[in-house]
Amino acid sequence: MASERPLLVATTPGASTPDDAPSPHPPAASLLPPAQSEPPLRADRLAFSVEVPDPFRPPYRRGDGPAADPSASSQQREREGGDDESRGVIVGEPSPEFAGNAIRTAKYSLLTFLPRNLFEQFRRLSYVYFLAITVLNQLPQVAVFGRGASVLPLAFVLFVTAVKDAYEDFRRHRSDRQENNRLASVLALGTAGEFQPKRWKHIRVGDVVRVASNETLPADMVLLATSDPTGVAHVQTVNLDGETNLKTRYAKQETQVRFSQNAGVGGILHCERPNRNIYGFQANLEIDGKRVSLGPSNIVLRGCELKNTTWAIGVVVYAGKETKVMLNSSGAPSKRSRLETQLNRETVILSFMLIGMCTTASVLAGIWLLNHRRELEFTQFFREKDYTTGKNYNYYGVGMQIFITFLMAVIVYQVIIPISLYISMELVRLGQAYFMGADKDLYDESSRSKFQCRALNINEDLGQIRYVFSDKTGTLTENKMVFQCASIRGVDYSSGKDTGGYSVVVGDHLWTPKMAVKADPQLVKLLRDSGSNEEPKLVLEFFLALAACNTIVPLVLDTRDSKQKLIDYQGESPDEQALAYAAASYGIVLVERTSGYIVIDVLGDRQRFDILGLHEFDSDRKRMSVIVGCPDKTVKLYVKGADSSIFGITNNSSELDIVRATEAHLHKYSSLGLRTLVVGMRELSRSEFEEWQLAYENASTAVLGRVNLLRSVAANIERNVHILGATGIEDKLQDGVPEAIESLRQADIKVWILTGDKQETAISIGYSCKLLTNEMTQIVINNNSKESCQRSLVEALATTKKLRAASSIGTQGPLLASETSTVTLALIVDGNSLVYILETELQDELFKLATECSVVLCCRVAPLQKAGIVALIKNRTDDMTLAIGDGANDVSMIQMADVGIGISGQEGRQAVMASDFSMGQFRFLVPLLLVHGHWNYQRMAYMILYNFYKNATFVLVLFWYVLYTAFTLTTAITEWSSLLYTVLYTSLPTIVVGILDKDLNKATLLAYPKLYGSGQRDDKYNVNLFVLNMLEALWQSLAVFYLPYFVYRLSTIDMSSLGDLWALAPVIVVNMQLAMDIIRWNWIIHAFVWGTIAATTVCLFVIDSIWVLPGYGAIFHIMGTGLFWFLLLIIVVTAMVPHFVFKAFTEHFRPSDIQIAREMEKFANVNQVNLSEIPMRGLS
Amino acid sequence: MDEASTSASAGATRRAIPPARSGVFYRFTQQNLPAWKPAMTPGCLIAMFLIIGIIFVPFGLLCLQTSNHVAEIIHRYDFDCVPNAYRGNWQAYIKDSSISKNCTLQAKVLEHMRAPIYVYYELENFYQNHRRYVKSRSDKQLRFGAKYTAESCSPVHRDNNGSPIVPCGLIAWSLFNDTYDFTRGSKEIKVNRKNISWKSDREHKFGKNVFPSNFQNGTLIGGGKLDPTVPLSEQEDLIVWMRTAALPKFRKLYGIIEDDLHADEIITILIGNNYNTYTFGGKKSIVLSTASWLGGKNDFLGHAYIVTGSLSIFISILFALIHVKYPRPQGDPNRLSWNRKNGNG
Repeated sequence: MASERPLLVATTPGASTPDDAPSPHPPAASLLPPAQSEPPLRADRLAFSVEVPDPFRPPYRRGDGPAADPSASSQQREREGGDDESRGVIVGEPSPEFAGNAIRTAKYSLLTFLPRNLFEQFRRLSYVYFLAITVLNQLPQVAVFGRGASVLPLAFVLFVTAVKDAYEDFRRHRSDRQENNRLASVLALGTAGEFQPKRWKHIRVGDVVRVASNETLPADMVLLATSDPTGVAHVQTVNLDGETNLKTRYAKQETQVRFSQNAGVGGILHCERPNRNIYGFQANLEIDGKRVSLGPSNIVLRGCELKNTTWAIGVVVYAGKETKVMLNSSGAPSKRSRLETQLNRETVILSFMLIGMCTTASVLAGIWLLNHRRELEFTQFFREKDYTTGKNYNYYGVGMQIFITFLMAVIVYQVIIPISLYISMELVRLGQAYFMGADKDLYDESSRSKFQCRALNINEDLGQIRYVFSDKTGTLTENKMVFQCASIRGVDYSSGKDTGGYSVVVGDHLWTPKMAVKADPQLVKLLRDSGSNEEPKLVLEFFLALAACNTIVPLVLDTRDSKQKLIDYQGESPDEQALAYAAASYGIVLVERTSGYIVIDVLGDRQRFDILGLHEFDSDRKRMSVIVGCPDKTVKLYVKGADSSIFGITNNSSELDIVRATEAHLHKYSSLGLRTLVVGMRELSRSEFEEWQLAYENASTAVLGRVNLLRSVAANIERNVHILGATGIEDKLQDGVPEAIESLRQADIKVWILTGDKQETAISIGYSCKLLTNEMTQIVINNNSKESCQRSLVEALATTKKLRAASSIGTQGPLLASETSTVTLALIVDGNSLVYILETELQDELFKLATECSVVLCCRVAPLQKAGIVALIKNRTDDMTLAIGDGANDVSMIQMADVGIGISGQEGRQAVMASDFSMGQFRFLVPLLLVHGHWNYQRMAYMILYNFYKNATFVLVLFWYVLYTAFTLTTAITEWSSLLYTVLYTSLPTIVVGILDKDLNKATLLAYPKLYGSGQRDDKYNVNLFVLNMLEALWQSLAVFYLPYFVYRLSTIDMSSLGDLWALAPVIVVNMQLAMDIIRWNWIIHAFVWGTIAATTVCLFVIDSIWVLPGYGAIFHIMGTGLFWFLLLIIVVTAMVPHFVFKAFTEHFRPSDIQIAREMEKFANVNQVNLSEIPMRGLS
Repeated sequence: MDEASTSASAGATRRAIPPARSGVFYRFTQQNLPAWKPAMTPGCLIAMFLIIGIIFVPFGLLCLQTSNHVAEIIHRYDFDCVPNAYRGNWQAYIKDSSISKNCTLQAKVLEHMRAPIYVYYELENFYQNHRRYVKSRSDKQLRFGAKYTAESCSPVHRDNNGSPIVPCGLIAWSLFNDTYDFTRGSKEIKVNRKNISWKSDREHKFGKNVFPSNFQNGTLIGGGKLDPTVPLSEQEDLIVWMRTAALPKFRKLYGIIEDDLHADEIITILIGNNYNTYTFGGKKSIVLSTASWLGGKNDFLGHAYIVTGSLSIFISILFALIHVKYPRPQGDPNRLSWNRKNGNG
């Protein structure tokens, strides 16, 4: 029964297969201190026995694999002392051996800022290229630009980045300082209960700290005692994982008692080395000669807040950088956008162009020198000798001159590889991220969550997605579980009615569960009549199991009415909450939970149940169980879990008919789209119990390999279970999911659903969200061995071929060909089969099959299988993949896919933490991809091509001039203008256009999802377009260079004046080219495009007003002639005509879809007005 | 760039709150600012090219006309001015200071030349834009004198005694020093050699108190000498020369004749052929030219305008024909790729 999905919360990608997850260091087990012999427990001590290991370890959470970050200190200890891999902490004795509690998130200090920041910056390859060119320019023989001028661009970029980094680091310093100087109450050494304020940074491992309500915990601490006599403390972990519900932590009775008696502190604690797993902790405490095991429920972590508890005392076990929150503060792995990868190809082409141009220039220079070698000494403009010394001046022979010319050419033509492009791209992405975040259509009103760009480097990938891999629970559905129906002992009770809820009378208060569930009157009646009959008793057991077999903490909240109180069930699994509320509605109300027992109000009678042991959920067993000491002195095991897992451990022989009936009901429930769970029970005999308890004791005090041991203990006791019944929980579809999926499908995006649910549930969800339709042919792969998988894959492939063939015969008919040719296939695979398929040679078959199908549903898949399926597509095609999910089990697939999206929903924030983008609702995917993705892609693609083009234009102008300077790389354009060209003259408009221009309206893009295809087909960025842009650059550079050349050929024109024309003309031309391609001119774009041309002119004025430069006054001189202006006009027109004509011809003869849609926007005025007025009613 | 970053930080402060639903800022955040959307409609295109053509072609004709009215006399003399005995042994001729370098040319004025008539010398194959050459100067020294003599002037920055050369550098060292005198019949034609350089150069770039010193004292004489009693700001030949030419074939202003020259007049040009272009095969010419509002004689601009203009008209007609023959309705949903496929079957 299915829903292992929400139960499995904390498997992060580090965890590989379930088999190897639990034990990080198995071989070290023998190094452990021998377990202290303890008198075996006797059954009569059962009730409320403190020696029983803590049963309330939160279930369902598993470690994230081997500890990733062994701290330096413990490694050292390991090497030196040969100690075991645990750390020993003496309670109450601060140990300087371990890391202190001061934290340091800041990267730099005043001293290290310069070297470290520079080092960080130069890790980017482009900066190194930049630097190499600058260094090259410092060689006197090669120097092209003056020292100051050549360093300027690099220095500017470095400076801006350094200022940004310094500011961020300053803020980190400030927050570090604040954090480190906060005060905490620490037990003064040698006293029994005197707490003194101490700064956080001075707290050390071993210190005993007292925390009051609503205070933040200064370090990771093991709880010793709390204000609650039973040792309960509530913490909120919102800073850690974003979950706002309260979590319950416990102090051990041994220490709790000691503190309440003021007996002082003592004991030695052995715990694991620091690691990143926030849901795992293993330790034991030796106190008063006893050995007590400690688990994740005994530790409170730095960053959490103490809630609903007056005070708590704990001993620090991990401090400062070794705390779990600090170890977890690293970000998600960075991804590179597809455009950026493609851009490398063009960069290589440009590099060859650069080398080609440099070689040409240097070879020609060599030839010129050879032809004139006899004249060099006396030629006035060369004069190779310095007669005061009689030596050659700056002349090293032809060979060397060729080499030097080559290097100089590299410096002069360097901008053909647009370094500034990388900075521009980052700025554009920043702007795009801002607009995505600000979009009201991506704002979730209900959860008040904005769209967030967590990764700033793959915005444009959103416009090229072909595959969407979606999780089901919490992504397609709301993950608000509501109990719908139950099957108890083979009888189906599914006609629930509103009963107004059930309340418990406590003293003179009335306690009501926060949520009422529809109850079946027949079932209620049956419960009331219980006592004599066997059947109602089992019904009662069923509800007791629902109320007891969980980790729910009931919180009693005050209401405005002083007589009324609300019971709020806090828990980590929404399914469990739903079940607990269901039990409460039928009158079995969980009212209290402490560390050793729970109190259940059974139809008005408050009873105490001792929790003797708890086997938490794991994905192998797919069930959890709890061992309860009942008020009637019997010991019972309640178990709940997936159907397959529970039916496997029933005593089949006796209850065959009940099993069958339950199975039938389960099938019915899951085909209704309900999530199902099976509940079972077993009564334990005393001997069975004692045997179990001994094993459990041993297993749970082991520091290493505990999880494996506990699992085998659980497997031993979970046998011969009686089936009590099954439950069906509804998980509602989110708003707009079917419409969103329809839009995605129209946009040729394949939507795959990967879920942990049962096949029937998955299929019914598939139908309800319109992914599956009745016209589809379903192919189901559901096998238990490799051979059978292979067989069914081959068969399925054959079927698809047959169907395709049949339909293609159909297409030869003249009518409605395209309609009939689309035989839509749906593939349904389950996790079992995937075990045999993924990572074997069958993968290729599956891939072939899956790509033939328009819909793929994978059910019952494990987290790593989800990643495997994403990898299946990602590694075999060039298509972009997107994974969307909300739970920790989606983390691996989110990180695997090209784009990972996290839904900030009910299931914590791990998915969001690992994602590249996060948002509130699945339906936002449509505006995100179709609108923002489309815009981002086309803007970024255009910007990259434009940057290549504009730099090439300029470099080519420089190159043509070299042909007339005896190939000596003189630039008529002043060095300042050459350097400012990329930085100032042309960069700003492209950035602004990259952020603001829109090719189409939002309404149009949503109305025609097919427009998304332009990104999928790489329409806006490909080699053809690159070549076209280069040809345009070639033509325009020829126009810019040769028109003035021929006009001024026989004149007194001087270098500086002509240089100014050659600097201004390309700036105007490339900005006009941009202007011609801009689609929407708002005032910001106007300001930047025309402002840039004006700024360029002003810069030229300024440069030519510096008397020490040779060009002093040139621009004023040349602008004073009419010839200059007429020449400028003809240059711009001649340069632009081909682009204009080409554009006009393509738009007329081969208009792109985007072009037509744009015309529709503009000319179909009536439609357009309507479209823009309708705020996407279907989706929002 | 600025704009993006400020708006991003503005957004950060507004984080948890949904943006207000009105106002310019809201429209900005929703990328919905009012915008002008130009579209290339056929009419628009045809009209635009037509207008370009209609303006450009007449203007080109005007340019040609103007250029035709500019009268020009060009004479290459570097070859003719060498006595027959030295043909083939140019170096011996030019370096031997005992040989007179004077030579006379007769030129016939073909059409009436209205004053002012500009006298240029034209050099060819002289790379004033050679990298070694353009770098070899010191603008500070030109303005403030010898103490700013810089290494950048190498290899001509100090003489053999180590004293600084003013003006230093290859450019000054290679100063052009041919001289021209014009006579009409027996009467000398006056050539005004004042104000032939840029005013800005005279006033701000070349010092009024900087006098030439140690100039052309070295082993190798590169060109003309300067009068050490005249400040640099008044050495106009030097100022003109130091405005380095952009291209290897260039003209520089020598002076201005302020009398009209009449058609069919014969003028005699007395040339002091001092400058050595024989080492590198450079060519020297003397040019007399009138000027128009477009500068000197130049047909290219006119041709460029006419070609571009007529091409535009051609394109405009071509477009018009295409749109008549193969009209494409604007914004026709049936032409969308997915609709088209359906339609074509």
